Amino acid sequence: MTALDFQALAPHLTLTGGLMVVLLAVSFWRSHRTAFALTLLSLAAAFIALWPGLGAGPRAVTPLLMLDAYAAFFNGLFILIGAVTALLAHRYLEGRAGSQEEFHVLLLAATLGAMTLASAQHFAALLLGLEILSISLYAMVAYPEEDHPPLEAALKYLVLSGVGSTIMLFGMALIYHATGALGFAELAAFAATGDRADLWLSAGLVLFVIGIAFKLSLVPFHMWTPDVYQGAPAPVTAYLATVSKAAVFAVLLRFAVDAQLLDLSSGAQVSVAMLFAIIAVLSMVIGNVLALLQNSIKRLLAYSSIAHVGYLLIALLVLNALPGQPMAVETALVFLVGYLAMTLAAFAVVSELSSAADGERDQIEEYSGLFWRHPVLASVLTAALLSLAGIPLTAGFIAKFYLFAAGVDGELWGLLWAMVVGSAISIYYYLKIVFAMTVRGADAPAIPASFAGVATAAVLGVVVLAIGIYPTPLIGLASDIAQGLRLTP
Amino acid sequence: MTAVSVPIEHVLVLAAALFTIGLVGVLVRRNVIFLLMSLEIMMNACGLAFIAAGARWAEADGQIMYMLILALAAAEVAVGLGLVLQLQRRFDNLDIDAASELAG
Repeated sequence: MTALDFQALAPHLTLTGGLMVVLLAVSFWRSHRTAFALTLLSLAAAFIALWPGLGAGPRAVTPLLMLDAYAAFFNGLFILIGAVTALLAHRYLEGRAGSQEEFHVLLLAATLGAMTLASAQHFAALLLGLEILSISLYAMVAYPEEDHPPLEAALKYLVLSGVGSTIMLFGMALIYHATGALGFAELAAFAATGDRADLWLSAGLVLFVIGIAFKLSLVPFHMWTPDVYQGAPAPVTAYLATVSKAAVFAVLLRFAVDAQLLDLSSGAQVSVAMLFAIIAVLSMVIGNVLALLQNSIKRLLAYSSIAHVGYLLIALLVLNALPGQPMAVETALVFLVGYLAMTLAAFAVVSELSSAADGERDQIEEYSGLFWRHPVLASVLTAALLSLAGIPLTAGFIAKFYLFAAGVDGELWGLLWAMVVGSAISIYYYLKIVFAMTVRGADAPAIPASFAGVATAAVLGVVVLAIGIYPTPLIGLASDIAQGLRLTP
Repeated sequence: MTAVSVPIEHVLVLAAALFTIGLVGVLVRRNVIFLLMSLEIMMNACGLAFIAAGARWAEADGQIMYMLILALAAAEVAVGLGLVLQLQRRFDNLDIDAASELAG
C-alpha cells in the first residue's frame, strides 16, 4: 500500500482509531459523558477526513475497496446519522442502571461496517462490512438487556438476519463457482463473455437477491422488521431504519452498476430484474396495507420503511431499463437522502419521548395532544410524516417526484401504478398520527426530552423542509456523483 | 497423485443438502440453542461451497472466504450465546415462542 492508499482510506482509519480510543478510555475510566464526547469527536474527525480521502481521487485500495465520491457521499451520511444516534442515545440511556459506555463503542463499530459496505467492490468486503454492521447492531438492539422486548427483538434479529446472510453467502459461493469471480469488475467481465445460462449461476443469483431482500426487509422476507423495530430501543431503531438499509442499498447499487447484476442473468432461466420488480410491487402494496393496521408508531414506521425501500427499487430497475445513463443513480441518491432525513426525524421524536428507564412510548394514543404538550417535537413529527406521505414542499415530495420521473423515462408502468396506489394508502395512516397529535389530551406523562435531543430533532425537521423547498444543491451533488461512476451501456 | 477425484458438482450438492438441513432446523426448532446450531450448519455449508468453488478455479480465494465465514460465525455465536444467557437468567426459558411478547 502506498501513502496515497492510506490517504484515500483516511475516514475509515480515523474512525477505527477513534473506536480504539473510546474502547480504551471506557475500560480505564467509566464515564458516560466522556465516552459520548469522545464518540462525537471521533465521528467529527472521520467526517473531516472525508476531504483528504477525496483528495486521493477515485482510488481502488486493494481489490476489495473502491474509494470514490460515491463512497465518500455515503460515508458522510453514515457519519452524520451516527452522530445523531449518539446524541439521541446519550439522553435515552441516561437514567438506566448499569453501564452505558459500551453502546458508543458498538455505534462506532456499526458505522465503520456501514462505511466499508459503501466502498465495497468485492464479495469479501461486502461480507465483512455487512457483518461488522449486523453484529454490532444485534448488541445495540439488546443493550437495555434488563427488559424483555429488546432481548426478544435482538434474538429475532440475530436469527433472521443470520439466515439472510447465509442465504446471500451461499448465493455468492454459487456465483463464484459459475464465474470464478469475486470482484464486481471481474463479474462484469464475465457478464460480457461468459456463459450466462449456467444453472449454478441462476441459482446463485436468486439466492443473492433473496439475501439482499432479507437485509433490506422487502416483502416476502420482511417478517422480522416490525418486531425488531418495536422491541429495539428507539435510537437504535432510528439507526436500523436508516444506516443499515442505506448501506445495503449502497452496495447493491454499486454491484448493479459495476457487475451489471441485472444483466448477468439475461439469457439465463431467471431474470433478476423480474425478481426485483415482483419484490418491489409486493413491498409497496403489502407494506402500505399492513401499516394501516398498526397502533404502534414504531411498527407503523417499520411497514412504511418496507414500502419506501420498495419505491427505491424502482431506481434500480430504471438502471436496467436505461443502461449507461447516470439518471438512475442520481434518482436513487436523491430518494435515499430524502428517505434518511424524514425517517431519522420521525424516529428522533419517538426517541425523545421515550427513555430506557421509563420504557418506550410508541402507542399512537400516547401522542394525542402532543401539539399542546411539546409543540417543537410535534411540529418535527408532523413535517416528517407529511414528508413520508409525499406532500409538496417536503423532502419526500422531491424524492417521490424524482423517482416517478425516472420511472416514466424507463417506462416501468406497473411499478409506477403500485407506487401511486401505495402512496395514496399511506396518506391515511400518516395523517392519522398528525390528527391524534392535535386532539387535546388529558393527563399525559412528562416528556423526558433533553435540549440537545430536541435541537437535533428540530434540525432534522428543518433539513426535511429545506430539501423540499430548495433541492438544487442536493440534486447537483447527486448528479456529480452519478457521473463519476463507471456506467457501461 | 490421486486416482479418483470427487466431481465439484457432488460437493456442491452436499453443501446444498447441509444448507437445507440447517434452514429446516431454523424453521422447525424452537429452542434457541438449536436455532443457533442450525445457523452454524448453514454457515458451514456456505464455507464448503466456497472451498469447492475455489478448488474448481484452483484459487485460494474460496478458502479465504471460508476463513472469513469462520470468523463471522464465531462472532455471531458469541453475541447469540450472550443473548441466550440473558434470556435464561431473566426469564428462565429458552423457547423462542414462549419468549414472544411482540405482536407478530
